[in-house]
Amino acid sequence: MNLKITVNGTTYERDLDPRLALVDFLRDDLGLAGTHIGCEQGVCGACTVLVDGTSVLSCLMLAIQAEGSEVSTVESLASGSELHPLQEAFWEKQGLQCGFCTPGMLMRAMEILDHNPRPTADEVREAIAGNLCRCTGYQFIIESILDAADRMMDDPVEGALRQGLKVGTI
Amino acid sequence: MKSAPFDYHRPSTVDEALALKDELGGDARILAGGQSLMPLMHFRLATPAHLIDVNQLDDLDYVRRSNGYLAIGARTRLQFVLTSAEAASAAPLLVEAIGWVGHVQIRHRGTVVGSVAHADPSAEIPTVVLALGGSMVARSTTGEREIMADDFFKGPFSTALADDEILTEVRVPVWPDGTGSAWLEFSRIYHGFPVVGVGAVVRLHDGVVDRAAIGMCGMAYNAITAPVDALLGREPTPEVIAEAAEAAVAGLDPPGDIHGSGPYRVRVGRACTLRALTAAVAAAGGK
Amino acid sequence: MTVPAVRDHSKETTWVGKSIRRIEDPKFLRGKGGYIADRVLPGMLHVALVKSPYAHARITSVDVESARQVPGVVVIVTGAEAAELCDRLPDFGPDPSKHTWRVLAHEKVRYVGEGVVAVVAESRYIAEDAASLVYVDYEELPPIVDPEEALKPGSPLVHEALGSNVAYERTFVFGDVDAAFAAADVVVEDRLYWGRSGSQPIEPVGAIASYDTGSGQMTIWENSLSFTSYLFMLAGTLKIPSNRLDVHPVPAGGSFGSKLWAVKPAAIAGMLSKLTGRPVMYMEDRHDALANNDHSGSDRIFYVKLGLTRDGVLTGIKLHAIEDYGAYIQFGVGHHGNALAQVTGPYRISAVEYGLQAVLTNKNQQGAYRGFGSEVNNWMLERMVDLAARELGMDRREIRRKNFIRPEEFPYFIPTGNVYDSGDYEPVLDKALEMAGWDTWQAEKARLRTEGRYIGLGLVSCQERSVFSATEFWFWFDEPGAPVTSMPESVTLDVDALGNITATLYSCAFWGNSPETMTAQLVAEEFDVDPAMVSVVYAGTGQGLPATGPGGSRFTVMIAGAVEGASRKIKDKAFRIAGHLLEASVDDLEWNDGGIQVKGSPGIRKTLGEVAIMAHLFKHALPDDIESGLEASHVYDHPYTTMPSPDRKDLGVFYPFMGHACHVCVVEVDPETGKVDFLDYVAVHDCGTMVNPRSLEGHMIGGTAQGIGSALLEEFVYDESGNFQSGNLLNYQIPTSMDVPHVKCGHYETPSPYTPYGIKGGGEGGRMMAPGAIFSAIDDALDAFGVRMRHLPATPERIVEAIEEAQR
Repeated sequence: MNLKITVNGTTYERDLDPRLALVDFLRDDLGLAGTHIGCEQGVCGACTVLVDGTSVLSCLMLAIQAEGSEVSTVESLASGSELHPLQEAFWEKQGLQCGFCTPGMLMRAMEILDHNPRPTADEVREAIAGNLCRCTGYQFIIESILDAADRMMDDPVEGALRQGLKVGTI
Repeated sequence: MKSAPFDYHRPSTVDEALALKDELGGDARILAGGQSLMPLMHFRLATPAHLIDVNQLDDLDYVRRSNGYLAIGARTRLQFVLTSAEAASAAPLLVEAIGWVGHVQIRHRGTVVGSVAHADPSAEIPTVVLALGGSMVARSTTGEREIMADDFFKGPFSTALADDEILTEVRVPVWPDGTGSAWLEFSRIYHGFPVVGVGAVVRLHDGVVDRAAIGMCGMAYNAITAPVDALLGREPTPEVIAEAAEAAVAGLDPPGDIHGSGPYRVRVGRACTLRALTAAVAAAGGK
Repeated sequence: MTVPAVRDHSKETTWVGKSIRRIEDPKFLRGKGGYIADRVLPGMLHVALVKSPYAHARITSVDVESARQVPGVVVIVTGAEAAELCDRLPDFGPDPSKHTWRVLAHEKVRYVGEGVVAVVAESRYIAEDAASLVYVDYEELPPIVDPEEALKPGSPLVHEALGSNVAYERTFVFGDVDAAFAAADVVVEDRLYWGRSGSQPIEPVGAIASYDTGSGQMTIWENSLSFTSYLFMLAGTLKIPSNRLDVHPVPAGGSFGSKLWAVKPAAIAGMLSKLTGRPVMYMEDRHDALANNDHSGSDRIFYVKLGLTRDGVLTGIKLHAIEDYGAYIQFGVGHHGNALAQVTGPYRISAVEYGLQAVLTNKNQQGAYRGFGSEVNNWMLERMVDLAARELGMDRREIRRKNFIRPEEFPYFIPTGNVYDSGDYEPVLDKALEMAGWDTWQAEKARLRTEGRYIGLGLVSCQERSVFSATEFWFWFDEPGAPVTSMPESVTLDVDALGNITATLYSCAFWGNSPETMTAQLVAEEFDVDPAMVSVVYAGTGQGLPATGPGGSRFTVMIAGAVEGASRKIKDKAFRIAGHLLEASVDDLEWNDGGIQVKGSPGIRKTLGEVAIMAHLFKHALPDDIESGLEASHVYDHPYTTMPSPDRKDLGVFYPFMGHACHVCVVEVDPETGKVDFLDYVAVHDCGTMVNPRSLEGHMIGGTAQGIGSALLEEFVYDESGNFQSGNLLNYQIPTSMDVPHVKCGHYETPSPYTPYGIKGGGEGGRMMAPGAIFSAIDDALDAFGVRMRHLPATPERIVEAIEEAQR
């Protein structure tokens, strides 16, 4: 089955086995190994990516279902040698230990901050409930996302864009 | 955990989808959100020879209120219904229950209709549709029929849909003014699937319950409704509510599993019913 | 070995103690972690296992013909074939020839989920397709699931050759137990049960093996395998010479012990690569990880008695432990060594009787999980101290205070012979109580009770041992087969011609701990460089020095010793070179600020870089005996291990660097449903000198979250027929962000007298404390009913049962 898909800004065309999961396509066909597999049953959230700006579990989506879509993975965050402010925040606050849940957590965090540029700690804690972490107990992840919110609002261009976005709970 | 091979079909119109279902019959399963079906396929507990993907059917993406019910099309995502003002005013119990379904990522793909068609006996949405007295629109190449919830849910993961039918719409009746509702579920982890779930709807008129419904999951082999006679025509005092909660679980013998034995489920069911009724009454403007 | 010298920790440190951001992080943040599943070798094949649906059965026939026909299948190996291709798996158990563990079940299956047939194909998808076409005939055998039943003569045998399901039994007596109990006015006793849970990191175990048929060289990449000294055992399994096996560690997405020695996946991949002559990957999926992972946590029944005076002084403890090891026993009873290291907790209990029966049943076997058996003892002991307090009507805080080892008593030898190197327990308790606001919460508890709500306060004071010695694996036997005494960690430091430093680590060092950051901070401290400038790399065993890896919270202490040793060797050489260049005697030189200077004349100096370039490039300018280069390795063995006495009444010192913690938690229990919610949580830990306090806090909080999982949520359930009920994450439920509280962390430091900088290990502690604190809080919340929780996990249903039982 044919697939035309844009991933991190690059468009690809492939002929694929329909049962190939989106996460396997990203990892094995495109070599974007940043998105991880933890359970393949939709519980752990490690495989979270953005499809047309919306967080989904890429283990439960067939690659061919992303026909015509724009997919963003963790590899899209950094610009060359510069980390995204969200990544800088996680680094500064030690929001990771083993790093395995981190890509899914980062993509979900991007969405959280997109919808709610100034969340409270409680809001963040609830908003990441679909992403399991076995290492951190979540606390430094929450601190990282709150720190990222500050960084992103302080950025003159980012901040202005975010002010204009709809603010609300997830 | 990879799914077994299947043939994949992507119809662009509802008619195409129906034609496919007619041709392939029971060998084909409908792929909507995939949040319930794909895990089963990954465990190879489901190995359909064909998948008919309905995600291109824009015509089936709607939430509309008409003729006293809220209609939800097959392609409508849970998250959309959750944030729909229309749905919130027409069927607050459904919206409240959807809020308990999994997490955001799941709700971005999962659908109301898909959840109903999947008929997981422990799931929130079928339970609410049953409680509210909803109905399902099943279409085939030969026509369309409306199946009442009581007739639709046959058993765990089993519905009245014929092999050539696709569930295209779920309807939930709008209850009259003075109605309050509440969904309460007991799960082991946050938004894990419910061990026990209770949806309660109560309509008050002059301080007295003139209509009520209770739906429960985790209390029998399938979702069930509970008797509400203890409430009807009475003022919903704490004593009356307690009586109703007791009546709701009386005689139930829930099958037990590692998440809860039968007797434990009865205890939790009673507590959840009491709390759900109390909250529903409060939402209805009572005390 | 003698007691090591007491060190002087008075020197101020620059980098040790600083919460720098981690060296490891950028690659993980970018999604370039290089985990095992990210590695692709050309022509690599994939494996899926056919697993047993029965708890106990004979394999009567295996039909692979249909499976072989699936296009893309390369080879299929049955258990019988595997038994020819491979010897039995490495096993530190009591009698491996009788409880033989193999890569695939041979002749019979012993638990649901045990691998029976391995299918190798071009993709995992195809391998699973073929696996579903393998037909295995079984003759069911009666399963043995209850460990107390398994003890009884006539019960079905998990291993016929063993003749019994008891793999090991012995009772140890330490100190004068009879006198201790004679002195007791009160004896409290109980039966307690800690059920099995497991680490379940988000990333399962995976291995890639590549066998070069030309050279006979086997290379394995795995997100596991420490104990590099024992890799010859894996080579033996694979029937290859020990010096033809090279195992490369790969970053692991979490481990918590379960990837310390995950030898079966490596063996499966190795066997299949040798057979096919192609690279083969075996990646556990989540079902494999749950059912067939070989790293269940402890599963222990206690019959225990605690003696005390009527004033609340604890005198002695007698316990009998029945441990359900599952179908194999790869680590022997090492879990109980972990318990014996701190069996009396922080208390001055003078005598211990410790009876142990290691029982085999039809379940997946135990491995290592954060605490490795000591967390279970902590829980049991604190349950008993709470019972003693209840019996005497004594405050839980006061009974602990009364029995604490006093700060002037360190180093303190406990009855088993192990030593607690340093500690000061009352300030830790005081700090935790203050941070929690104990009295305020007590008042709140009373107030909320009038509203019909049930809140409770829980408290534990427990030990957190670190840095195990090799003896804990063999002091169980009077005549051990292999009384090994080496358990080192190694490092190589290389100063290049520009003075830039590279540290090479061995074993599987990274699994979410911070080996690169720890190493970089320690190297930075030695050489006055910025840790961010230190390059840390990992070597495979082929280039390897002996290394044990991050088990028993040992890595930071051990790498500190290795770095210290290697740094000294480099500095010795650098001093000689500098002395030659400065025309000064080595005795007149001192290290300062990244260079070597004449004492008292800071202007007369050479930087490390200046020394290094001379060392690398200008041999003829240096004394004849100085070799080119500036690199040194150091193999650092356990600094404080003493041998057990022949009669085993004294096990010697085997886990000397003793941390300590106090956890206080406040919960609300819903008596209708048994649901437990957290209202407050405080954790105060003493792990000696902290290297990176922020990183340590991360482990305290993460460990606490796992402790919450074990205490309330997680359980591997086998029904009475041995059917495994926990094969997916909807049944085995891991805490989400909403299931764990915000943990308020506090620190206290009693440096170890024996380690570099006084560091003690601290990675496991959170999980070693939380279960006891939570149980204490649940009992307190339900004190109106007189509830006492005895069975872990305290599921909502068990809590309700306890209420109902108390009401009867």
